[in-house]
Amino acid sequence: MKPLNNKTFPSRRGGLLYRALPFFLIFFLAAAAAQPATAPSSSQGYESLRLLTEAFHEISQKFVSKKSEEEIVHGSLRGLMNSLDPDSSFLTPQEYKQVLSGPKTPLAEAGVDLIYKDHLLTAVSVMEDGPAWRAGLRPGDHILKVNGQLVRNLTTQEATRRFQGASGTSLKLNVLRNGQVKPLDLTVNLEPLAPGRVTSTILKDTYGYIRIPYFTQETPRELIAVLRPMQGQRLKGLVLDLRNNARGSVDQAVKAASPFLGDKEVASTKGRPPEPGQTYHGNAREEVAKLHLPMVVLVDGGTARASEVLAGALRDQFQAVLLGSKTVGLCGLTKVLPLHDGSALVMTVAQCYTPKGQKIHGKGLEPDVQGKTPQPTPGVTTPAKLPPEQDPWVAQALEILKDKKPQRLAEKAVKP
Amino acid sequence: MLPRILVSGVAGLLLGLFFWVALFLGNSGPVAADFPGPSSNLAALPKGAAPVTDTKLRVLAQALALVEDQYVEPKPLKDLIYGSIQGAVSTLDSHSSFMTPEEYRELQIETKGKFSGIGIEITLKDRILTVVSPIEGTPAYRMGLQAGDQVVKINGSPTKNMNLNEAVRMIRGESGTKVTLTINREGFTQPKDFVIVRETIPIRSVKARVIEGGIGYIKLNNFQDQTDRDLQTYLKQMGKQLTPFNGLILDLRNDPGGLLEQATRVADEFLKSGLIVYTEGRSPQQISRIYATGGQKIEVPAPMVVIINEGSASASEIVAGALKDQKRAFVIGTKSFGKGSVQTIIPLEDGSALRLTTALFYTPSGTTIQDKGIIPDEVVQEPEIPDSKSLTKVREETLKKRMRKEGLTDKPWSQPITAQELDQDPQLKRAVEILRNWPPRKMTQQAAQPK
Repeated sequence: MKPLNNKTFPSRRGGLLYRALPFFLIFFLAAAAAQPATAPSSSQGYESLRLLTEAFHEISQKFVSKKSEEEIVHGSLRGLMNSLDPDSSFLTPQEYKQVLSGPKTPLAEAGVDLIYKDHLLTAVSVMEDGPAWRAGLRPGDHILKVNGQLVRNLTTQEATRRFQGASGTSLKLNVLRNGQVKPLDLTVNLEPLAPGRVTSTILKDTYGYIRIPYFTQETPRELIAVLRPMQGQRLKGLVLDLRNNARGSVDQAVKAASPFLGDKEVASTKGRPPEPGQTYHGNAREEVAKLHLPMVVLVDGGTARASEVLAGALRDQFQAVLLGSKTVGLCGLTKVLPLHDGSALVMTVAQCYTPKGQKIHGKGLEPDVQGKTPQPTPGVTTPAKLPPEQDPWVAQALEILKDKKPQRLAEKAVKP
Repeated sequence: MLPRILVSGVAGLLLGLFFWVALFLGNSGPVAADFPGPSSNLAALPKGAAPVTDTKLRVLAQALALVEDQYVEPKPLKDLIYGSIQGAVSTLDSHSSFMTPEEYRELQIETKGKFSGIGIEITLKDRILTVVSPIEGTPAYRMGLQAGDQVVKINGSPTKNMNLNEAVRMIRGESGTKVTLTINREGFTQPKDFVIVRETIPIRSVKARVIEGGIGYIKLNNFQDQTDRDLQTYLKQMGKQLTPFNGLILDLRNDPGGLLEQATRVADEFLKSGLIVYTEGRSPQQISRIYATGGQKIEVPAPMVVIINEGSASASEIVAGALKDQKRAFVIGTKSFGKGSVQTIIPLEDGSALRLTTALFYTPSGTTIQDKGIIPDEVVQEPEIPDSKSLTKVREETLKKRMRKEGLTDKPWSQPITAQELDQDPQLKRAVEILRNWPPRKMTQQAAQPK
């Protein structure tokens, strides 16, 4: 695969903005501060507001115990943002102040990525061998109670904060696993996050396997470090495992794509006009040369954010085959918008698209080949992580590679 | 319109845990009722609880405007408002919620105990829309629909990729109108059309059987408008058939509750006098004491055993609590769910509604049920479901049982429960033992005297 002729340096206008916070928080304080407090002006808008007033009135008069006005209003702002998408969120005045004081890396956490959607808190991905994983939590589990308290009307961000804290803090979780009759009780002890190292191995018949557990600033460098030695090994193909990986920014995904794609387009974002769109390119200098390998990328319902960007780019630009199940569809850029009372909204203002223009946010990526549904082992309620040699999807990926399917596709694409 | 009061609503999630999640045409979920609740006339409300002030509303209006203008894709304002109300209500407690107009209409169907349709229970079996059972006496039953029939098309539209709710919505319709179901059945060479005229279908929340030795068995699935009436019918018939009437088992297992009014009526059937339940709320209107009436009713001249489990909630707990505290019944099983609050349905002007917790209730002895549940007089465990057994497997087995009409209440009520059936249900078996050796040692003397 040849790099394009027009050498563009990574074009990440606004990259500075993204660097500051995880999950693509952007601050547009000036813009938001200038926003006048207008109510919807149409007559339909007026009617809708009346409905809201009516509901508030009923609540404040009739609910069994008295609730503070602020609690109700903040609750409704949470509900409003939750109705948009899992990345949109609400910050109380205190939370907003903390955000303004700068991003903080949590001291310790459970090692889980959550989303709150349809009134359910779900572990989208659980870091392998992290605290939550060791306690028995698995991707897809629904968390019903935290420390005995029912989970309700949280935002994804608030839920995430509950799973962070001082090292050693223990969380008691009541968890519902799909397909199981009884909820499970798990105890998770928070720990400082272990580095998410990229690992690789050479499988039988010289096929390479690379696992990215989650994205960090180090991921692109580590990826290059495992890819370079592979150049000399006459590999027949590569399996890139992006399952159960929901953490990382667009920026990190773009950098991680460079070894494969050079300076080709990795993704683009589009907002609602006049919000500007943006195209992201990799860096030609980081391309690992002669890596024209047929590739299968493993994805699943725990593949979100950076890993979706990378998977989409590799499919569109590297002829990689996506194998597994549908990805989450979380890839937006958010803005923080302060409100009059000192609280703030976190709102998605732009969404990611793959180089061929496929929308990721809210949709997810459909795999090219469905992974075979594993048969549950009788008596085993909490599955262990399988080594790649025993992993049925890896075996399925190798079959595809042996079949030269991606290669055929790639050759077709390279020849004009 | 009067607000409606309900004591139900163990979260849907919980229902899903205890039941296979087929969609009964109407016969499922929580219910509400025409119980003369507090007037929604604002003038009658107590002063002091100030409505949300303008400043706070201004913050909300500002937020709505920002979302309308800047969210990545335009959203209908109505959805945003519904999201906001939903958020406000779910901040209150886990039993308060918001219903869209569609959800509210569905609730009304469930609470009325009847709906207009053809009378089948359907489910998705291996992704195919399948008849679980036609309800006896309904148009579907008369037209010859059978358990296991696959519904390939509804009014010509293929059901492939249709979800259960969509299918239910298409099959239901006004009384007197027609619906065409294209049915695939084992033995058919090709799918066949069944044209069925819809009519009003009663939903039965009460099922019954008899047990040898003059024992009656009554199972309540929930508390809706027709529950007490249906209960009376069975009690009358049992009174005639069972001579002597030696005992009655009231099965409240997995009954998520329903109408407060129906709960008190059901308890009243078995009590001569005394307190059934009392409620307390923030406003004086919410304070009430409900006593058993001495008036005309079917008297059950027999000792009673009530069976509960952790799926018995709200209205079920009111009944079990009253009968236990008044020593009218011996309660067995496992601790009940523990939901001691009353919800009022408050319709909003656009057809949506709030379900708001407005009062707490207490059993006659003054104990709250909230989080504590009713503790049975004798703990009898349900057979354990092995951990290795998946939910899918449990659902499949239950579904098969239902389709073969092998469930306890699938048979005619006057057909006695067999020894094998009792062996499969240790709690029921224990209830029968207790009635045969009445009174149980744990029960005080004066309570055990049936009249």
